[in-house]
Amino acid sequence: MKAISFQRILWVALLFLCPFWVASAVTDTAPGASDASLSQSLLRVNSTNQVYEFFQPWIKKPPFSRRGIGALLDGGRILVTAELVANSTFIEIEKPAGTKKSSAVVERIDYHCNLAVLRPVDPAFVEGMKPLDLNGPLRVGDEATVLQLEPNGEIARTLGRITSISVGNYPAESGSFLLFKFGAPLQQRDGSFTLPAIHKGRLIGMVMRYDLRNQSADIVPTAVIRHFLQGLDSPTYPGFGRLGLSFAQLRDPQLRRFIGLEEPGGIYVTDLAPRGPASIAGIKKRDVILAVDGLPIDQDGNYEDPDYGRILFSHLTNTIKYPGDVLPFKILRDGKVLEIPVTMQAANREDSIIDEHLFDEPPKYVILGGLVFMELSRPYLKEWGAKWTSNAPQRLVYYDAFQNELPADRGRIVFLSQVLPTSDTIGYQDFDNIVVTKLNGRPIKSLADLSEAAKQPVDGFQKIEFEEDPKLLILDAASIEAHAETLKEHYAIPSLERL
Amino acid sequence: MFRLLPFFFLVLFAVVPLNAVEISRSLVRIEATSQEPNYKSPWSPGDVSSGVGAGFVVAGKRIMTNAHVVSNARFLTVFKEGDPNPYIAKVLHIAHDCDLALLSIDNPEFFKDTLPLDFGGIPEIESVVSAYGYPVGGTRLSVTRGIVSRIDFQIYSHSGMDSHLAIQIDAAINPGNSGGPVMQNGKVVGVAFQGYSGDVAQNVGYMIPTPVIHRFLKDVEDGRYDRYVDLALTYSNLFNPAARRALGVDGDNSGVVVSSVYSGGASAGIVNPGDVILKIDGHTVSSDGTIPLENEAVPLDEVVERKFKGEKVKLDILRNGKSATLIVPLNAPWPFKLQSHLYDEKPRFVVFGGLVFQPADQNFMEAYDPSDQRLNYLFDYFVSDEIHLARPEIVVLSNILPDPVNAYAEEFRFSVVDEVNGHPIKTLEDIVKAFDEQTDYYVIQFAGGSRPIVLDRKAVDEARPRILARYAVTSEKNLEK
Repeated sequence: MKAISFQRILWVALLFLCPFWVASAVTDTAPGASDASLSQSLLRVNSTNQVYEFFQPWIKKPPFSRRGIGALLDGGRILVTAELVANSTFIEIEKPAGTKKSSAVVERIDYHCNLAVLRPVDPAFVEGMKPLDLNGPLRVGDEATVLQLEPNGEIARTLGRITSISVGNYPAESGSFLLFKFGAPLQQRDGSFTLPAIHKGRLIGMVMRYDLRNQSADIVPTAVIRHFLQGLDSPTYPGFGRLGLSFAQLRDPQLRRFIGLEEPGGIYVTDLAPRGPASIAGIKKRDVILAVDGLPIDQDGNYEDPDYGRILFSHLTNTIKYPGDVLPFKILRDGKVLEIPVTMQAANREDSIIDEHLFDEPPKYVILGGLVFMELSRPYLKEWGAKWTSNAPQRLVYYDAFQNELPADRGRIVFLSQVLPTSDTIGYQDFDNIVVTKLNGRPIKSLADLSEAAKQPVDGFQKIEFEEDPKLLILDAASIEAHAETLKEHYAIPSLERL
Repeated sequence: MFRLLPFFFLVLFAVVPLNAVEISRSLVRIEATSQEPNYKSPWSPGDVSSGVGAGFVVAGKRIMTNAHVVSNARFLTVFKEGDPNPYIAKVLHIAHDCDLALLSIDNPEFFKDTLPLDFGGIPEIESVVSAYGYPVGGTRLSVTRGIVSRIDFQIYSHSGMDSHLAIQIDAAINPGNSGGPVMQNGKVVGVAFQGYSGDVAQNVGYMIPTPVIHRFLKDVEDGRYDRYVDLALTYSNLFNPAARRALGVDGDNSGVVVSSVYSGGASAGIVNPGDVILKIDGHTVSSDGTIPLENEAVPLDEVVERKFKGEKVKLDILRNGKSATLIVPLNAPWPFKLQSHLYDEKPRFVVFGGLVFQPADQNFMEAYDPSDQRLNYLFDYFVSDEIHLARPEIVVLSNILPDPVNAYAEEFRFSVVDEVNGHPIKTLEDIVKAFDEQTDYYVIQFAGGSRPIVLDRKAVDEARPRILARYAVTSEKNLEK
């Protein structure tokens, strides 16, 4: 808490200085930001990535490469977006002039906030280079420069302005964080838009995507980067807290009168993740949140941030605060005002029924005689393409969308993804994407359950029960055992199980 | 050129005993003026449109045609070949589940020179048939010929939900052929009713075969149409040797296993999931679900298809390895209409303070094509997940007629209503009852627990007439089915 308020004072002080800087820095050529010295802070990063084929989870799709520019930070680390290096099989780093190449490994990666730090395999490779410092907060209208590299190693600068600062969705769709919109005509040079943005020679954030039509780049600002870099030298990564709460705006005066809300502001809690911090602390659906950590929340869910003005309060809970911090929530419930302390907590995968993403890890599967079982994950649904919410099997999409409404002990959604035709699965090949309830009479709440239950056939049969038609499929336990090796050979499956 | 013509006629004559000249005494052209309700403004009577189809005279001074030719009809005129006079017709019976209808003509003069057509059986594969009608707009009879390509169950696209036997022919069938007879050896062997557009498949037309026609004619003998009866269950094939052994089915080629039995249907409480159906009315059921009937392998459903309300069906089954005989009284048609296209019905709706509430049905879903995931799930799985037990109707906030009283309601479009003032909303009638209550506030709660819509009673009372006038809404509700 103390460290935070100290930072805030510091940033306020910086803000006072800003107008003078802007006046003198139209071209952003402050001392220390010359091309020669800047190129000492940049590295080309070429990442070869490979993702699993979710329809055949035992194989990987063809590799593809992404190229971007990383910013050198203190301690010889290289900052890039998580997107650039997600599912990487090999990361190559290269100095701007292209004379030398080396490789790097991912030291820390957080897909939610779309950031990663890389460590060069050979620390000597970045020796003598000049790390970039992180800048403080910016305001809308401030100038910044996005850095790209010409093939000859020259720095290509694109000057633009911060056009908006808000809390917005990040590419992984698993969190909303502070986001700068930056208006400038960027050229596609480096294969991706992972590019550093600077102000007065200091890093203000990483560009992560660019909207060509609107000439607008999305920048992960230093507020998020600082949080991400916290405790980089310690083995545990604190991560970003996630409240596990959805809310509705409270603009409608009829609704405000009905719930007896006289003071201005307040938001209406509509949904809670069953094991999220808000739910654990005792916040309930239909509560009205009036203030968080002593800061009033307006009817749209914004608070007054000293650095960025009126922005969504999740910036306070997930970026300013850390997991473990306790935030008092002022709640209106049944006409009474309560104060509920909420202990922030990072998103825990064990708490979710459906994985939002599966980067850098293979999907689990179990194959029984040719029936391929998986656990439901969003990447699986996204195999149906951009319109997956309407094209993917509706029941699975529904499970994903409304997982908070499932019983607390539902466990993972295990389903039959497809049937590989074999002599054991004759007559079953038309069934796919149906959810398993039981195997051999045992309830199935994970693939591990399924694998375990398969070891206990009933009267020599594997009896798989499903939520919907055909309701029951039966396999001959001894026969699938005997055919296991043939099945592996036939369909070139290295293993019939990956848990 | 002129000399060649009689020769062609001779050839035709040799193959088809009843020629085009004779059929002209039976074939009619039907001009239908219809009014299709607009589900997006359910209070309006809908746009008037017109179309042309074919029909033919059958015994009893009636005209047979497709249901889709005369659906939602407001005014029907019938023309005979070579008679320029329009005759006003009325729908006598209409069967949307098998796309057939019978018309009557007010003027008795109409039937003076007409020749009622007789029906034949199921034509053989590869045998030649001729289709008669008025394809793509002409007023003169048109004949196309082809062979019988396939005999199988097909979804009848008029309702979109019902499957019956249908015969595929390769004679060109185009709009305007609908309702026309398909003839072989002077008898009607089918009624042309649907086909594929050219970009899906070539030369694929379908006709309704005589078993379906006979069933329809018999059903209406008592003066009303009772719809098809249905077992209301699903079954799966029994090809798998392990499954056959586990279920104790002897031999290797008979029986199907029941997957789901729908509550509210004819089999509920009689047939259980997991039962193996070995015989239906004495016909041995193959492991693919077919039975031999009239030298064809047809789905076992065909036995039920030919029955009528009140009749029974006998199932020889295997339950937990033991044989049993079940008698299923066929008292009910398929219990759920909401996933079928609906015709000749007025949309049900309620408008309250500019909020439009409608039950989700096929017509509604087609009109709005909502992307709401919850609504789509409830609609798609209404039958299989037995959603109907808790919600006989899915009541949806379908539209908002903007007014200060509902200024913050837009985000709830396509949300499913759960409760109003604590009263569960299971049907549209429930919501009307809830809005009739005199309370200070109407609190509308939606499925999933979003924030409620709250309407101040005084404000909404003031707004109601204002909204009706502004948006030309002629009525605040229609509860008629």
